[in-house]
Amino acid sequence: MSQQSRSQQIRKFLTFGAIPLSIFLAVLVYPFAQGLFLTFTNWNGFKYTKLAGFENYTKSFRDPTFWATLGFTLKFVLVSVILVNAVAFGLALLVTSKLKSSNIFRTFFFIPNLIGGVVLGVIWQFIFNTAITAIARKFNIPFFQDSWLNDTNKAFWALIIVTIWQSSGYMMIIYITGLISIEQDVIEAAKVDGASPLRMLTAIKIPLMAQAFTISLFLTMRAGFMAYDVNLALTGGGPYRTTELISMHIFQEAFAFGHFGTGQAQAVLMFFMVAIAALIQVRISKRLEVQQ
Amino acid sequence: MKKALKVGALTLTAALALSVTVAAQAPAASYTCAKKTTVTMLGTIKPEIQDQFLAAVADYNKSQSCYTLKSIPGDRNLTFLQNVTPMYAAKHAPTIMYTLQEIPDMADKVMDWKGQRLTQLAPKGLLAAANVGGKQVGVPSTAEAFGLLYNKKVLDAAGIDPTTIKTRTDLEAAFKTLQAKGKKAIHFSAIWWSLGAHFTNIYHTDAASTHEGRLAVLDSLAAGTKDLTVDPVFKNWLSTFDMLKKYNGSAVNLTDTEYDASIADLASGNYGFMFQGNWTEPNLLQASATTDFGIMPLPISNDAKAYGNDSIPVGVPGYFMVDNTQSTATERKGAVDFLTWLYTSAAGQHHVSDPTTTTGGGMGFIPVYKQWNVPPSTFMSKAIAGFVNAGKTTEWINTYYPAGLQETVGKVSMQQYFTDKISSADLAKAIQAAWKGQVKTWRGATK
Repeated sequence: MSQQSRSQQIRKFLTFGAIPLSIFLAVLVYPFAQGLFLTFTNWNGFKYTKLAGFENYTKSFRDPTFWATLGFTLKFVLVSVILVNAVAFGLALLVTSKLKSSNIFRTFFFIPNLIGGVVLGVIWQFIFNTAITAIARKFNIPFFQDSWLNDTNKAFWALIIVTIWQSSGYMMIIYITGLISIEQDVIEAAKVDGASPLRMLTAIKIPLMAQAFTISLFLTMRAGFMAYDVNLALTGGGPYRTTELISMHIFQEAFAFGHFGTGQAQAVLMFFMVAIAALIQVRISKRLEVQQ
Repeated sequence: MKKALKVGALTLTAALALSVTVAAQAPAASYTCAKKTTVTMLGTIKPEIQDQFLAAVADYNKSQSCYTLKSIPGDRNLTFLQNVTPMYAAKHAPTIMYTLQEIPDMADKVMDWKGQRLTQLAPKGLLAAANVGGKQVGVPSTAEAFGLLYNKKVLDAAGIDPTTIKTRTDLEAAFKTLQAKGKKAIHFSAIWWSLGAHFTNIYHTDAASTHEGRLAVLDSLAAGTKDLTVDPVFKNWLSTFDMLKKYNGSAVNLTDTEYDASIADLASGNYGFMFQGNWTEPNLLQASATTDFGIMPLPISNDAKAYGNDSIPVGVPGYFMVDNTQSTATERKGAVDFLTWLYTSAAGQHHVSDPTTTTGGGMGFIPVYKQWNVPPSTFMSKAIAGFVNAGKTTEWINTYYPAGLQETVGKVSMQQYFTDKISSADLAKAIQAAWKGQVKTWRGATK
């Protein structure tokens, strides 16, 4: 290939890269920088009159509800990442096995993902508040008689259940892709060698589709940290503001209490947390990936 | 307004008394312009009456050739500030805005209504909550009331006359009678905004018999010097809270589905009472076409003469403001013209308080401006007019709650007490803690 002159390279870049780059700068980099800047001011949502140094950050750190919310969010992320992926992988194994109706099942499992989070939250709010309690009263099952959404621990599991229901279908698709991309001859060879199904799963299938795990774990973790719509529509942060995830807490801080500065500072803190967690997770997962 | 939160007002006596006597009315000025100017308004006052409001807008646009009013739909799931801040940042603010809680935040960005026709027609007391440092930031939309709502059919069948209930003991007797007749006494909702704004207001508005006295209670709470547990009014209020919990016939539900459930329950005819406001009346009538629903005070004291025992809290759920920083003089003129038309012309008044609200007519608002020609007609609005005319109204002190306070109190301590998670002493402590150190916005202080 002939050497390109510098001007040719620049022209090429401008032809293909200028528009995406300028959009990226305008809608992502610039607002992010502006948002970062505002955390150092006394911004009230409309304007700022003076620089405030790190006051918004120290205020956030001193706020006990911020820490409580953070703890709740971490717990939610941990549990939802494990369970969503476990269920999704299980479903993927199920529908790639030689079931007759596997296509129908794939569709069914995927459908909840097509329903918006708010709608899903409202539907499940009805299920937990009205449907389950009515059935429980009829058949006298004390555990379900009081709405799960009235109790912090049970409301946590309600959030987890709805999250699994919503996102495991999507993750299942990624796992299916991973499973069917494993070359048949490797599997045949393992069979010939007499590997049990379990051994085949742990020694052949999972290592060869580790990439699917990297992607799914990243996506579910990100979704866990960012979760807002289901939280809002299902528990609304209740009971007693004990099930507020970090996104909702930030929203409340800014728009209910009018503390735009601290709300924005907490959003920046959340960004760094998610970024660091994602980097660590991807690095670890990458190490486990196998090249064929 | 369903979530009528922080709401302004003193008394409505003058307003309604005048509204029923004055019949004559200046004809709406008909004027012509060469070109129509578009005037924007954020939202439609409230989503429940969107169609009725837009019908009024269409009528206004047809009635003159100077302005075209355009309602920009806001996102209903977002707060007022979240809708408005990006619009201001984009230098594209709506000319007319409607809100309550955020009035202090908007004060430096909007027009002074002083000297306009609507401020002359509105009772002084109702303008006070939207007066920030001498500047008339907004004008009121309507009045709303809350208290004990009752299903008239159920009470009639049980032989209960709500006008004879003067004390907490009377109320308990009525509850017992209902239960003896096989009915459930009350649907007492644990909805956070009902507890945080409206139920707490019962204490704050009964706490002193003068406006100044009530604000002084807020002062001492903010200063951290108030001990609620020794306040006899607070004790009465707590006893009432306990009693309503005791006779509550519905399962506790802390989430938003509770609102519709409570309306369905009262409309069903299985319950006698619920603690709510008159904004539920259209829904109640819709759910039960043949029943009347009334409103009565929630008496917390056993002394029938105690302040507030015989009165219902009446206030303004929101104020109209006109932007003064990003609009043109013509746009502002158009904004004032539209709102003046809405509240002073015959056609406008019809849209605002048409009695056939439940069948899709007007917005069904209770009128607050003088020279009003459409009388109230539903059972509940007549009842409210009765209280207003008799001077039996109390103030919405929740108007003066600092932003976020009703969330903190309503979503946390009040719901915790409702579900027996904390003691009454803890509740008093939590309310005191929520107030301590708050900026005295009720005294005109800025954050």
